[in-house]
Amino acid sequence: MAAGAASAASFNGLFSVPAIAEETKKQGKKCILLWLCGAPSQFETWDPKPGTYTGGPFGAINTNLPGVQVSQLMPQCATIMDKLAVIRSMSTSPSEHFQGIDVLTRGDKPRPPFTRPILGSVVAQQLGQLDSPVPQFILLDPCPEGNEFKGFKAGNWAGWLGAEYGPVRAGGDYAIPNIERAESISELDHQDREALRSFLSKKFENDRKSEAAAKHNAAFNRVNGLMSCAPLFDLNTLPIADRERYGGGAFSQHALQARHLIENGSTFVMVANGMPWDNHVYQHEMHQMLVPELDNVLFQLISDLEQRGMLDDTLVIAMGEFGRSPWLNEARGRDHYPTAWSMAMAGAGIQGGVVHGATDELGVKVTEDAVDNRQLFATIFSALGIDPHEEYDLPGLPTFSRVEEGTQPIKELLKNA
Amino acid sequence: MLSAALAPDEKSLVAGCMDGVYHLQFDPNEDRKLYSHSSYVSSTAWLKNNQVISTGYDGKIKFFDFETEKTKQESQLHSFWSWDMCVSPDEKLLASVTGQYLAGGYKYEPKPETEPSIKVLSAESGEVLHSLPHVPSVQAVAFSPDNQFVAAGNLMGEVRVFDVNSGKLVSSWTTPDFTSWGIIKSHCYLGGIFAMTFTPDGKELLLAGMGKMRDPMAGNGRQLWQKWKWQDSKPSKTNEIHKEDSGEGLMETLAIHPSGKFFTMAGRLRGGDWNIALFELQSGKKITSLNTKCRVTQACYNADGSQLILVGAQGQPKTKKDGEFPRFGRVEIYNLKIIA
Repeated sequence: MAAGAASAASFNGLFSVPAIAEETKKQGKKCILLWLCGAPSQFETWDPKPGTYTGGPFGAINTNLPGVQVSQLMPQCATIMDKLAVIRSMSTSPSEHFQGIDVLTRGDKPRPPFTRPILGSVVAQQLGQLDSPVPQFILLDPCPEGNEFKGFKAGNWAGWLGAEYGPVRAGGDYAIPNIERAESISELDHQDREALRSFLSKKFENDRKSEAAAKHNAAFNRVNGLMSCAPLFDLNTLPIADRERYGGGAFSQHALQARHLIENGSTFVMVANGMPWDNHVYQHEMHQMLVPELDNVLFQLISDLEQRGMLDDTLVIAMGEFGRSPWLNEARGRDHYPTAWSMAMAGAGIQGGVVHGATDELGVKVTEDAVDNRQLFATIFSALGIDPHEEYDLPGLPTFSRVEEGTQPIKELLKNA
Repeated sequence: MLSAALAPDEKSLVAGCMDGVYHLQFDPNEDRKLYSHSSYVSSTAWLKNNQVISTGYDGKIKFFDFETEKTKQESQLHSFWSWDMCVSPDEKLLASVTGQYLAGGYKYEPKPETEPSIKVLSAESGEVLHSLPHVPSVQAVAFSPDNQFVAAGNLMGEVRVFDVNSGKLVSSWTTPDFTSWGIIKSHCYLGGIFAMTFTPDGKELLLAGMGKMRDPMAGNGRQLWQKWKWQDSKPSKTNEIHKEDSGEGLMETLAIHPSGKFFTMAGRLRGGDWNIALFELQSGKKITSLNTKCRVTQACYNADGSQLILVGAQGQPKTKKDGEFPRFGRVEIYNLKIIA
């Protein structure tokens, strides 16, 4: 703990003038994506159907929005529904994980040879501070495996934006090792070495017009940044009271860490924990644990951001790649279901207290205001102040838009629409 | 169908279903709903005095008089599910177990209980006689043949045995073989002990569930039973399903044949060729098996051991037929002939 405190002081020392440090933290909009990989059940979260053929064993409870109920597994979110926007009418195409993750993190299906950057990369590029030592896009995910999510993680996240907009990964087994300066090297010596390395490699990059060298330099700069902000990645530096309030599990702890990273200069933090929501078996046995954890995380996160005056600038998104089937399979699990599912957002330019769209009595079909991935991403970009329709002409590629075909955001969900 | 109990006259049964407690008559084959819980019905019992008792995922216990067809009594036993309920052989005691698995640590170690995980009640009055501690979630419970002990097993494979007179803990141990910590998709615990029963001499406990999985979401752990000598100062495993006998799938029920020589384990088939098998109690040798092509949630024998009754469920139908969703609960009755 003592070492952590010393490191924290060193991090704050990055900013010579405290006022500039404060201003840096306040600049621009930020985003925390609670990535519920594997796909949570809408029946056990935002769109309960108690007492019906498809409703499952959990009941529904009233919220602070008159006439709106959520699953009994979400008592804390029920008290802050006036701050949340819930879409109950998500309706998308992919029914398999990899394709679902691809579409719901990039905003659209693949369009080879163009690779659309993932949401975090776009936000980092549009809203991030390039010269910040704190990584602008961070993925907190302790699970090294993850089936389809593992495969997805191995892919090209930043797409055409380039590797510098890809995520820095941390959490659990990804505890960013070896980013502390060796004691045998003084700070001055370290700076001299880095200046020499930087000069020579930049010269090489310029002389040879080497893209590889440019990426190598970008990576070095990133490591330099990481070295200076290492304490931000140490869960042990966070107040014990906060850690207890968020709850014990890795997902909860990393959600708290996400708040901490956003407070200290990061722009986009994606929190995941493998793909635990894919409950083809043990649906109710798993959701009875996972949903209360999500409930508490959302409550704590949104309450904290509000108390710190950050909610107006920080968008919190909680979603997976699709929903789960109304019907239980023989293994008492719910299977993949992209036809009608739910997600939630709060903060930044999102209007709280809105429940958008609806499904039928059994949750089989969307009956009002179906929302697809393009509408969702147009809404997310708009809430963050990013033009959803910006066009790009890249060499050798067809013209494309950030959100294709002029798809409009959902006005009901935007504060200033 | 999640549970069932044979009528004292063995001509019918009550079944605990997702939507209530049903009475199913065997001949003629008829059924009707008796009453409901506000969630799934997890366990049912039918006492000799014609009292039907049920517990559910609403945490409630209900006492239903089958002759007057009235609910005599109901109470909120737990704030979370009743995972399992059982009756002592002398029908004087009931026990119900509960517990919500919540993350207590970074690796999702279970959080300690916030309410007693085991309740022991008077079967006559419904009065709670003992509230006993365990670690959530507690998923299986059983009384000893002499009515003196109650055993309960949990998610982490921990078994606790209590003296039902004093409420004192008399034995506890953990078998890690039923619990998976997810490596592939999820970093959390899944599985645990799903069924348990004492052997007829009361000296050993049979446990059932599913073996370890790298991906608990796959449900592909080996079909697993273990037998433990629980009265020793250090309980020891005396036998378990022979490796060559087990396929894959969660085993949810155990039933010892009235002869005391055999037992049945049943559940869901994930891989292999059986979801119900008959074993010699002493040697653990698999005698025979079959594939019912549906999940079996409870197996029980009639009093003379000539019939084996299985209840369970198939997947939920997706489309309505004649304006209603077809039923998907299943009852199968097998006539048995034991050849010496």
